Amino acid sequence: MDYRFWFANAQGISDREKRRLLQVFGREKEIFSLTEAQTEKLKLLSPRAREALLAARRDTGWQKKSGLLREQGISLVCWQDKEYPERLKNLYDPPYCLYVRGRLPPQEQKTVALVGARSCSEYGRAAAETIAGELALHGVGVISGMAYGIDAAAHVGALKARQSALKTVSSACDVPASTYAVLGCGVDVCYPAAHRRLYEQMVRTGGVISEVPLGCPPLRHFFPRRNRIISGLADAVVVVEAREKSGSLITADCALEQGKLVYAVPGRISDDLSCGANWLLSQGASVLYSIREFLRDLKVEKQEPEKLIENSLEKNERLVYSVLDFIPKHLETLLADTGLALEELLKVLYRLSELGCAKEIHQNYYIKSKVDS
Amino acid sequence: MYSVIATAAVHGIAGMIVKVETDVTNGLPEFEMVGILSSEVKEARARIRAAIHNTGFLLPPKKVTVNLGPADVRKSGTGFDLPIALSVLAAYGFLQSEACGETLFAGEIGLSGQLRPVRGILPMVLTARDHGYTHVVIPRENEAEALMVQGMQIHPAGTLSEVIDWLNGKRTLAPGPINIEETPREEACVDFARINGQRVLRRACEVAASGMHNLLMVGPPGTGKTMVARALPGILPRLTEEERMELARIYSVSGRFEERKEHLYERPFRCPHYSVTATALVGGGRVAQPGEISLAHRGILFLDELTEYQKPVLEQLRQPLEERVVRLVRVSGVYIYPADCMLVGAMNPCGCGYYPDRSRCTCSPGDIRRHLRKVSRPLLDRMDMSVEVPRVKIGELTGEGRNESSEVIRARVEGAVRRQEQRYQGERFRYNSRIPADRIEAYCPMDSGARRLIEAAYEQLNLSARAYHRLIRVARTIADLAKSGEILEAHMREALLYRTMDEAVWR
Repeated sequence: MDYRFWFANAQGISDREKRRLLQVFGREKEIFSLTEAQTEKLKLLSPRAREALLAARRDTGWQKKSGLLREQGISLVCWQDKEYPERLKNLYDPPYCLYVRGRLPPQEQKTVALVGARSCSEYGRAAAETIAGELALHGVGVISGMAYGIDAAAHVGALKARQSALKTVSSACDVPASTYAVLGCGVDVCYPAAHRRLYEQMVRTGGVISEVPLGCPPLRHFFPRRNRIISGLADAVVVVEAREKSGSLITADCALEQGKLVYAVPGRISDDLSCGANWLLSQGASVLYSIREFLRDLKVEKQEPEKLIENSLEKNERLVYSVLDFIPKHLETLLADTGLALEELLKVLYRLSELGCAKEIHQNYYIKSKVDS
Repeated sequence: MYSVIATAAVHGIAGMIVKVETDVTNGLPEFEMVGILSSEVKEARARIRAAIHNTGFLLPPKKVTVNLGPADVRKSGTGFDLPIALSVLAAYGFLQSEACGETLFAGEIGLSGQLRPVRGILPMVLTARDHGYTHVVIPRENEAEALMVQGMQIHPAGTLSEVIDWLNGKRTLAPGPINIEETPREEACVDFARINGQRVLRRACEVAASGMHNLLMVGPPGTGKTMVARALPGILPRLTEEERMELARIYSVSGRFEERKEHLYERPFRCPHYSVTATALVGGGRVAQPGEISLAHRGILFLDELTEYQKPVLEQLRQPLEERVVRLVRVSGVYIYPADCMLVGAMNPCGCGYYPDRSRCTCSPGDIRRHLRKVSRPLLDRMDMSVEVPRVKIGELTGEGRNESSEVIRARVEGAVRRQEQRYQGERFRYNSRIPADRIEAYCPMDSGARRLIEAAYEQLNLSARAYHRLIRVARTIADLAKSGEILEAHMREALLYRTMDEAVWR
């Protein structure tokens, strides 16, 4: 086990070279016990990689790190292991190893990656949460990057759906893990730190995955490479909101190269935040215009027909609901648009938020919190 | 010969009687002054000598000793010139010092013998009255200030020779026609009738004014936050006689009585620019002076662009906001200034001002958090109410309003204040915002709906105990405005609207 970790942890050797080495020597222990002279003669490695291998051999820090694996319950999945996801094997440049807290998506589970802007709009957040929730309800794994904004909304949506599903089922084993995060830093590092609770929850009920060595801080160049794993693990990639130059578009590119389905959630042409997603559509990405159709595309059938929210509301509630939007509206605007008195409006808003139809997303600002589609 | 003249020193906003004693004997010519004097008092020596000479007296060279007692208190300020000069003259025998027995003197003297105004005349006159003096002689410029005190004979004088003539019975010193306005002037502040739209903000102001709750306004620039703040004094309850006197004292001590004179019936409105220093804000300085927070006593301290103030400066507000007084400790003693004001703050929600409209706001979540963190959590904890101010639609901005005027709003506010006064008879506080935590249960009964709401909010919003109490206090005020003895569900729902900014931001 320890030799495996040493080899996986060795830095400066590319994933490709690691795979070649292993093919030649069969076991990591053999590579570890190579003498200096033998290493120098290895023709299949670049001079830089040979140096790195020797340096890794001399370095003893890895033993301490390997203790972390057991302590934090991190599993190491390498290229040759049978747990290694089939989906990744077909990549052009598959990661040599993955560090996993929690679990990897099972081979037979359908998975969808949801990616998008960090500073997303409330519309984007609601859309991501709803889509992720619907996917999770149908047993589809939701993969994302645990960043602020759309990523977090996707994870949260899936976790929420799983929790509500748990209520109706006797044992937790019957409900599949709903959501997985692929990080751009060591799997033991929670980035952004504000998502600590989300991170812990996903470790418990889903999986947190990274190819980056343990303890590595989030570095700029890890993220584009991380994106290829996100798309690689997924059967389809959905871009919810993206600006013109967005990391989400890199994920979409990776997905296209890997031959995955790419969906984009359309936005208004006036929104900067939807510019990237709309551009994807113009380039031929599939339009995610209805969750029902999307599920059908994925060959997952929607189980029950959704009731229209509006029909269950009373007169004033319907009035307020119809005025609400995914763009946050201030109470002042709502007062003007509905013509209700402050007291009555507050009462209706409270009732709507109890029903889950409205939400106060920021002090005195309200949005519609359900996407009907 | 020996003489004694009474005058007064100012300590904090209170006055204190000081006796100026002079002894003139033969010996080496000398002019000595004792009694822990600050440099401006010591310099009186030169001014007095010249002033006496220019008034037409010739002082033969003798040994002159002046003592300002009590000798263990540091004396500062220029008001001692006049009593010292009179005391010296009396000691030389030019005056009958007995004639000064029931009179208190204060004033600065110029070299020509002309009297100049001094700070703190009002507390001095009040102290004189409390100590049984019946007459006060003061510089003419301080007349209006001194006349605020009832039951005292005020004698304003222009020069030293006028005072001497008065003492010798050669002339009278009578105050001029009273020029303090007896009728309230309202034009000074903005009327609410001129503010269009912003119904939520208007209502928040009404609630804040009724319970003297601190108010934070968050919104993009140009939405009328400043204008509304300026309109606030107009809906606060009118000043009582006692409050008016208290305020006049503070302004007198800080030498700002002139600017206050015009607005004696209005509550003060202070808006220090954000470059203000800690000393200017809470008071202090080598010679202790009241700061902006004391000048805003019984009125409004408005901090515009709250995020731009230096953090250490804002932190200074924490203790005065809690204790309602500023306690300055100096080598020369402890100075206490009242500071019972309503704090009103205004700030932008983020650097670009558009948040939470994410389609227009270009700030990252980190930027927004950094922006909001410029105001410390403990200070925010002292803001009782917070309200988001949206951009007004152009139609609302220009539409000729059927807006309520300040007068109508003030009538409701005063009604609510009366209810509070009745309820808190015999207590040390008068407003809902000042109910101590342990009395909340007793004074804020809630119906079951309100209790359910606040308990749910406590869970969902992750409120601190302090925030929880704050909400109940605000709900109490809303109930008072609705003339309800009990806090009902609707009152609590409205109070929740004004809860202080999302706690999540500071997590």
